[in-house]
Amino acid sequence: MATMEFTEWIRGRTDEQLRALVSARPELITPVPAHLEGLASRAASPSAIGRVLDRLDRFTLAVVETLAVREDPVSKDELRDLVGAALDPGEDPEPALSSALERLADLALVYGPDDALELGPGVRKVLDDPAGLGPRAADAFRHHPPEQLEEMADAVAPSTPGSGRERLAAALAEPAELVESVSPAARAALDQLVWGPPTGRVPNARREVHLASARSPIEELLARGLLAATGEESVTLPREVGLHLRGGRVHRDLLAVPPQLRGAARDRELADRTAAGQAFSFVRSVEELCERWSIEPPGVLRTGGLGVRDLKRTAVELDLPEWVAALVVEVAHAAGLIAAGGGVDGEWLPTSGYDLWRVRGTADRWVTLAVTWLHMDRVPGLVGERDDRDRPLNALHTDLRRSSAPSVRAATLGVLAAAPGLAPDRDSVLARLAWEQPRRRGPLREQLTDFALREAEQVGVTGLGALSGHGRALIEGGDAAEVLAPLLPEPVDHVLLQADLTAVAPGPLTSELNRWMTLTADVESKGGATVYRFSEGSIRRALDAGHGGEELVAMLARHSATPVPQALSYLVTDVARRHGRIRVGTASAYIRCDDPALLDQITADRRSAALRLRRLAPTVIASRSPRAALVDSLRAMGYAPVAESLDGDVIISQLESRRTESVAPARVVASPNGLDPEVATAAVRALRAGDAAHLSRREPVDAPDGQVPRSPATATISALQEAIKQGVRVWIGYLDSQGNATSRILEPARMEGGYLTAYDETRAAVHRFALHRITGVAGL
Amino acid sequence: MSDGPLIVQSDKTLLLEVDHERADACRKAIAPFAELERAPEHVHTYRVTPLALWNARAAGHDAEQVIDALIGYSRYPVPHALLVDIAETMARYGRLRLEKDPVNGLVLTSIDRAVLEEVLRSKKIQPMLGERIGDDSVVVHPSDRGNVKQALLKLGWPAEDLAGYVDGEHHSIKLLEEGWSLRPYQRDAADAFWNGGSGVVVLPCGAGKTIVGAAAMAHAQATTLIMVTNTVSAHQWKTELLKRTSLTEDEIGEYSGTKKEIRPVTIATYQVMTTRRKGVYSHLELFDARDWGLIVYDEVHLLPAPIFRMTADLQARRRVGLTATLVREDGREGDVFSLIGPKRYDAPWKEMENQGWIAPADCVEVRVTLTDEERLAYAMAESEERYRFCATTPSKTQVTEALVRRHLGEQVLVIGQYIDQLDELGEHLNAPVIKGSTRIKERERLYQAFRDKEIQVLVVSKVANFSIDLPEAAIAIQVSGTFGSRQEEAQRLGRVLRPKADGGGARFYTVVSRDTVDQEFAAHRQRFLAEQGYAYQIIDADDVLGGV
Repeated sequence: MATMEFTEWIRGRTDEQLRALVSARPELITPVPAHLEGLASRAASPSAIGRVLDRLDRFTLAVVETLAVREDPVSKDELRDLVGAALDPGEDPEPALSSALERLADLALVYGPDDALELGPGVRKVLDDPAGLGPRAADAFRHHPPEQLEEMADAVAPSTPGSGRERLAAALAEPAELVESVSPAARAALDQLVWGPPTGRVPNARREVHLASARSPIEELLARGLLAATGEESVTLPREVGLHLRGGRVHRDLLAVPPQLRGAARDRELADRTAAGQAFSFVRSVEELCERWSIEPPGVLRTGGLGVRDLKRTAVELDLPEWVAALVVEVAHAAGLIAAGGGVDGEWLPTSGYDLWRVRGTADRWVTLAVTWLHMDRVPGLVGERDDRDRPLNALHTDLRRSSAPSVRAATLGVLAAAPGLAPDRDSVLARLAWEQPRRRGPLREQLTDFALREAEQVGVTGLGALSGHGRALIEGGDAAEVLAPLLPEPVDHVLLQADLTAVAPGPLTSELNRWMTLTADVESKGGATVYRFSEGSIRRALDAGHGGEELVAMLARHSATPVPQALSYLVTDVARRHGRIRVGTASAYIRCDDPALLDQITADRRSAALRLRRLAPTVIASRSPRAALVDSLRAMGYAPVAESLDGDVIISQLESRRTESVAPARVVASPNGLDPEVATAAVRALRAGDAAHLSRREPVDAPDGQVPRSPATATISALQEAIKQGVRVWIGYLDSQGNATSRILEPARMEGGYLTAYDETRAAVHRFALHRITGVAGL
Repeated sequence: MSDGPLIVQSDKTLLLEVDHERADACRKAIAPFAELERAPEHVHTYRVTPLALWNARAAGHDAEQVIDALIGYSRYPVPHALLVDIAETMARYGRLRLEKDPVNGLVLTSIDRAVLEEVLRSKKIQPMLGERIGDDSVVVHPSDRGNVKQALLKLGWPAEDLAGYVDGEHHSIKLLEEGWSLRPYQRDAADAFWNGGSGVVVLPCGAGKTIVGAAAMAHAQATTLIMVTNTVSAHQWKTELLKRTSLTEDEIGEYSGTKKEIRPVTIATYQVMTTRRKGVYSHLELFDARDWGLIVYDEVHLLPAPIFRMTADLQARRRVGLTATLVREDGREGDVFSLIGPKRYDAPWKEMENQGWIAPADCVEVRVTLTDEERLAYAMAESEERYRFCATTPSKTQVTEALVRRHLGEQVLVIGQYIDQLDELGEHLNAPVIKGSTRIKERERLYQAFRDKEIQVLVVSKVANFSIDLPEAAIAIQVSGTFGSRQEEAQRLGRVLRPKADGGGARFYTVVSRDTVDQEFAAHRQRFLAEQGYAYQIIDADDVLGGV
């Protein structure tokens, strides 16, 4: 039987080959099956086969299809002819075929010796219409009534022996004559179906037809059995006919090697620099997003996700197109830098993980983001599109998940990696992907590829459309941070101050200076450099945050590469002069106000009695209440006091940066790089061991003749304990429930509560044995 | 990492570090396609706008040159999206062309049928187009030549106007370079305009735009219509043309409120052109009165909206616009582009000053502290009265007097907005006042007396903002202005920028009330000049009053 042969073939593979198998098809060992038989049957399951077929390239898949079309084992020579016929004339199919067969053997899709190659069990069933060929005639006509078959057989092969079914099958097996005899119109209809798909739709396909009274080409073909009705409205071309019409070929045209990529050549260095620049701005966008959201977090929608308006606002604030803003938000979220938290309604807030991320070097931060992007199963590009129920898809919503997204990204970047220094155009990338994974074609895949290409550019994995050095390191497992770091702009620690009240930072600022500048001035333009504008409002903001006017001027002078322009120092001193000129005290024990009438009012207020106020001067009131309570009470009374320290300084009320709990970053669904080799090795070892045990346990063994020597109870227990420890088999005497003395060969597993659990080899099953009934133990 | 002088920002501004050794080369490379936005002392800001890119395209630059310049001089990697955008934007210019067809007259043709289809579907453009001829062209009513261009620009498909110009009625005009000669940049500007057909020349105040106009006329050798802001300016144009060209008194006409002369060269004011009687513009026939070969627009940035509409009908005539700044407070730069033409010549102010073509100027802001009573009154003033109040405060009068005393013996202009204030100042300074109600004759007499140094101090209202040639004015004191108008500030500085006979510098004072809206407006007004590289020095009124 095929399954048995296949299992034996698997068992005959070397450990290394098995490791290759489970590494390439990790789904076979999740969980690890008990033995190789289990592995073989799992490898034959339709879902597992479907998954592995999805990973085959066009040519390898064509080899599988060719084998599927043939019923019997095929020799390699024959296969070579069949496949070679579809290649460009003159191209030698041998090298590609050999490596494809090797790969297929590694994947356990094809087995057997070179002179009789056979598909693994179950593979045929999974391939519908292999190579666009319909079912075999025998299957196609299976459900036709015998009398109809009889009539068809009479029409195509009169005066041959056998039943209608057999005669028709025999005629269709060699359909050359039959095909020659049809009318030109019918021949044209056949030609339509030759290269697949092999099915067509016609109304009332099961109608009764007779060759003599056929009114249309379809009826003519149906009457001859050259088309078979497979449903009320569908007909199909039997495989034998299709193969004949294809002139013995299985495929029309094949490429043994992937199609060439076309596109613009890019200067590698320029592409790297461009990508690095983009990587830098992507990191900066994420940082800016988190900084903004820590102060003004957007709400979480009731359905989860981020509101359309919030995304729009974020896009404006970050000065990015909306789809890029969605990408930034999604990557930040997937990297665990932002999460829903805070309060009943929920807000999107940076996590404490953001604080850890923020202090790392730019290159490291980028790697975190880029790896997250590469592996996340979320598709930011879908934001703004509509779902099946015509509702818009929101950013950060669960509906944005597409399980194939990481593999499409990996495949797309893999294509780019194959063409160093080239920015391939979209169509050639799609063509290449269609060759590499023909079974995964489809509109979603094209869309995901488009997204992957444009997102790679935004994240800075590609530059000018070509894969960058650090992008390559990222997908090939190198140290991307090390490659990227020298390409990033050096942080600068000075700005250029100008008389028009602007400051230009000619590069990324050091973190501290950046925060200070953002506080003191408004950002006017971003990019490689940052342009800041000082205004009354921005200076006041800095003063509000607790900086003094002189301190500001000193700080400007220290960090300016040029003298501080007079206009700017005037602006600062002017604002500082007016800032806080009017203030309400903060001290714990006094209230002062320039308006005595207001103080009159406070003192006169009955609610203030509890504060035990005492008027010190027309403009000052002292209180024995603690300062905080005083302020609170005054507020409760409808006043607007501001706190002041003992030295008379205003107590700073800074905007609070909020954080939420860290969440684990989005789980990586499947590593695109395949299985960890260590896991594969361990799995194979476990399988081999399980298999050995499985094989040796297949038949019950006979217990040796004679009685087990009786041993004292204590000796029995210690001997059994020893056996469990050593993992050896023992021979015991046992009184069964009827009191009969029996003799067993056991492999003890554990002993507890007066019972021994052990594998009974004499009965080939696990049993529990009462310790007090064991009459004796002996080693074997 | 390359060490270029240029930083390309994501918002399409370009930052040029001026102290960099390659800064000059870079400036030359980017000037054709980027608009100089700010030129303060260390880092100049250019902006790449669609208009600037189309200007560059009109001047014969292609996207590759632009991108090479950016990549070649940029310190950091240039965002790819920006490069793509530049290439796309530039490719939009010239897809559509206005051409002359021997059979059908004016036609709009396209080298890209999809673009033509898109444009034809626009509701705004449909009515201006006639019959479709062939797949790629469509007839345009000649009268809609300007409107079509305007509408196409709004759609983002600016048309290249290759339909040519009428020569106009021939009239011989020669430059008489006797005792003076055309400065190199004036010659360049006139040539650039002539080669481009139509367009705008941007030169700072005092750089001799009138002479560029005269040179353009000498190129055209045809009857010319000159549009100026006001009558005094018209007279100055006339004087200047008589001095610099072969034109005689009889050949130059004035078309203003008082005179309606139509001669081979006619100078008309915007005001008279926009006068309406019973809802119709009664002087439109001026445009058809002669077969004009050239139309000169003085101070293009002030061109009133009705003139734009009239200009739309004049697309077959050569047009030259002269201005100190393309900044329009109403944001209609696009109309200037499509109706007058692309920018043909531009020179930064500071560069002109360095070459000695305009006088170096110091800008000084004098801050006056209001007295306590004034502050109280200011605080209580109605919001619409506030600016007037703080701009005309009596403290300013004192300071102005002190400033005038300080510059005794020099030619001083005092410029203000509010007539009461000016009258009061005139009284205090014992100086004549020129305001809207002053008759033209009287104005000219006073200006002449000022030029002849018979009068040393002149108090003027905003009537003197533009085009008044007072070469010897060395000091301007601005006491109040039209709120935050940036171009007014530039115009007023322009009054003192004419090179002085003694080669001395100019000084421009602005008297500002501290801690009031006056100071805010002043800051806004100063932006344009600060961006042009003029550093304002701030001094306290007490320093002036103390006689320092």
